[in-house]
Amino acid sequence: MNEARCTQAKVFGKTPCGPDAFLLELEFSAEIGQIDPGQFVMLSLADGQGPVLARPFSFYGQTAPDRLTFLIQVLGIGTQVLQDCPLEEFIQVTLPLGTGFALPDANRPLVMIAGGVGSAPFLLCAEQRVQQGAGDQTFFIFGARSENRLYDKQAFASLAMHSRFATDDGSFGFSGNVIACLENGLQEETFPENAVYFACGPEPLLKAFARLVQAKGFEAQVSLETYMGCGFGACNACPTATNPNGPLGAWPWAKTCQDGPVFSLDSIQL
Amino acid sequence: MGAQSIFVMTLSTTIGSLSLHTPLLTGSGTFGHDASALSFLNPDDLGALVLKTVTPQPRPGNPNPRMAEYEGGILNSIGLENRGLHYWRDKVAPELAQIAVPVIANAGGHTLEEYVEMTIAFSEMEGVEGIELNLSCPNVEGGTRFATDPIALAQVVAACRVVTEKPLWAKLSPNVESIVPFAQAAEQAGADALTVSNTFLGLLVDWRTRQPQLGRGFGGVSGSGIRPLALRFVYESAQAVEIPIVASGGAASAKDVLDFMVAGASAVQIGTAAFRTPDLLSKIAQDLRALLKEDGSTIQTLIGSLEWPSL
Ligand SMILES: Cc1cc2nc3c(=O)[nH]c(=O)nc-3n(C[C@H](O)[C@H](O)[C@H](O)COP(=O)(O)OP(=O)(O)OC[C@H]3O[C@@H](n4cnc5c(N)ncnc54)[C@H](O)[C@@H]3O)c2cc1C
Ligand SMILES: Cc1cc2nc3c(=O)[nH]c(=O)nc-3n(C[C@H](O)[C@H](O)[C@H](O)COP(=O)(O)O)c2cc1C
Ligand code: FES
Repeated sequence: MNEARCTQAKVFGKTPCGPDAFLLELEFSAEIGQIDPGQFVMLSLADGQGPVLARPFSFYGQTAPDRLTFLIQVLGIGTQVLQDCPLEEFIQVTLPLGTGFALPDANRPLVMIAGGVGSAPFLLCAEQRVQQGAGDQTFFIFGARSENRLYDKQAFASLAMHSRFATDDGSFGFSGNVIACLENGLQEETFPENAVYFACGPEPLLKAFARLVQAKGFEAQVSLETYMGCGFGACNACPTATNPNGPLGAWPWAKTCQDGPVFSLDSIQL
Repeated sequence: MGAQSIFVMTLSTTIGSLSLHTPLLTGSGTFGHDASALSFLNPDDLGALVLKTVTPQPRPGNPNPRMAEYEGGILNSIGLENRGLHYWRDKVAPELAQIAVPVIANAGGHTLEEYVEMTIAFSEMEGVEGIELNLSCPNVEGGTRFATDPIALAQVVAACRVVTEKPLWAKLSPNVESIVPFAQAAEQAGADALTVSNTFLGLLVDWRTRQPQLGRGFGGVSGSGIRPLALRFVYESAQAVEIPIVASGGAASAKDVLDFMVAGASAVQIGTAAFRTPDLLSKIAQDLRALLKEDGSTIQTLIGSLEWPSL
């Protein structure tokens, strides 16, 4: 694994994306090295301005050996200062952090379910699957409130895999949420029985996802969000409750920033 | 050889019998339970690695959320989550003997006997060079009892003193009106150094939800907002005792470190500021070398050099 390190990267591009998000492209001074889909970075302004703590973001895309993109929804001060940071200015980056998705073998189907910016870790997953020649065995369901919040949907739609889109207001694709869309696909037998299921998104989505796949006995992994103080395992501010009978053992908490943010569903309590 | 080793020399400091490469230490609970975060640092830049508090029994810690942020720092109520002494002895301690930096283990407890148990255990561990007694965690039930009664504090320090020959530091609480009686009590009870101090009891609320921001309600404030408060306690402690002072509270730059040293600290712990920049201690070490060169001073001449205004 590529060991976590601190570095600074230059703001290379900022592209608006939907009503409340943007794509942040950062240029590093050297090749980035290996990153796993589902791993994350901590970002803050290099000049020391902005909030006290850095903010966690999933790796979204890689545009060159020394350039990465992040899909960032602007919620509060930490994301606002990143959006306001001018081109050519420096961002403080700690990377790569955490445990990402364990992609199944190329011959095993994969179904990925995203809500809103929960799509962020799945672009790299999808690209890797396509590269492995597993695009035909790869399914992606991307849901949002409305079409304009299906952030950067073209990036997914243009990959040689099976993408489905769902909107709560029916403005694009399936009318309803991603879980309804997933259930619909299962009824129609679009998704193979032996698939592995990944999900990332708001907590209610993950809970509904967990209920569904647990009832069916599917193998699943979820990417979780918790408050993060440090992102590198030093502060204990990111606990996720473990399943006492699961693979993480009897300790009641996992560190989301190290043991996660991606967990196998049977290892945690959602 | 050459220039670089001379600069490394100029950063060295001592805390009692312990010689440190630099006056820069991590703060307990802010750089992990083990040595893994050391990979962010050049070991030459760090004086000692102070690890998270260990208690005799495992402690699951407090409910979520455990941390919140404000303009001047953060509020935390981790609640000393740790897997207890047995786990630490088996899984963490064996690795500590291998690392290049002195390790200070930090002991927590509910009773005098628990502190003694921890001190004996740490004394027997090869990789532990010194012991810091956390007499000041605001985030556990009864955690501040030893911190707010100088007699109780002196009893714990004295009882631990007789069971170890390793350097023994007492980490004092800032949640007192005057730190002087506590500093003097710890010195008289045989502490080799004082860590001054810990987080300040605080509260953040969310007016919209009408709820505290932390799951446990109250928490401890750390970060740059508490720096002037910590500086006052460091200065007052240094005036009151002969033993060295290790400062803790809000340091984030080389300038901050030198401010603490001028006020009387022999070394400075850095906690909250390194969350955002885990290689901060290496950056500060570089800046310290540059500042001292520019000023033509040494660490030794700066310690306690504050000139108080005569009224
Ligand atoms: C491992 C990990 C990966 C992440 N990846 C991404 C990503 O790729 N893209 C992205 O846009 N975000 C991602 N997030 C979430 C992102 O870190 C937060 O949205 C960000 O920290 C908010 O900071 P802020 O200062 O802007 O908002 P704050 O000032 O901290 O909060 C502003 C408001 O937003 C709410 N809020 C804060 N955090 C969240 C959250 N996680 N979910 C919902 N509401 C929240 C708060 O309650 C508050 O009302 C990730 C989080 C984690 C833990
Ligand atoms: C998240 C967090 C956890 C902490 N855990 C401990 C601990 O286990 N034991 C201890 O003695 N101090 C603990 N502290 C206190 C720090 O060691 C330090 O004294 C305090 O944060 C002030 O320094 P700072 O402003 O540089 O962070 C903790 C502080 C924080 C922020
Ligand atoms: S965020 Fe600090 S330990 Fe996970």
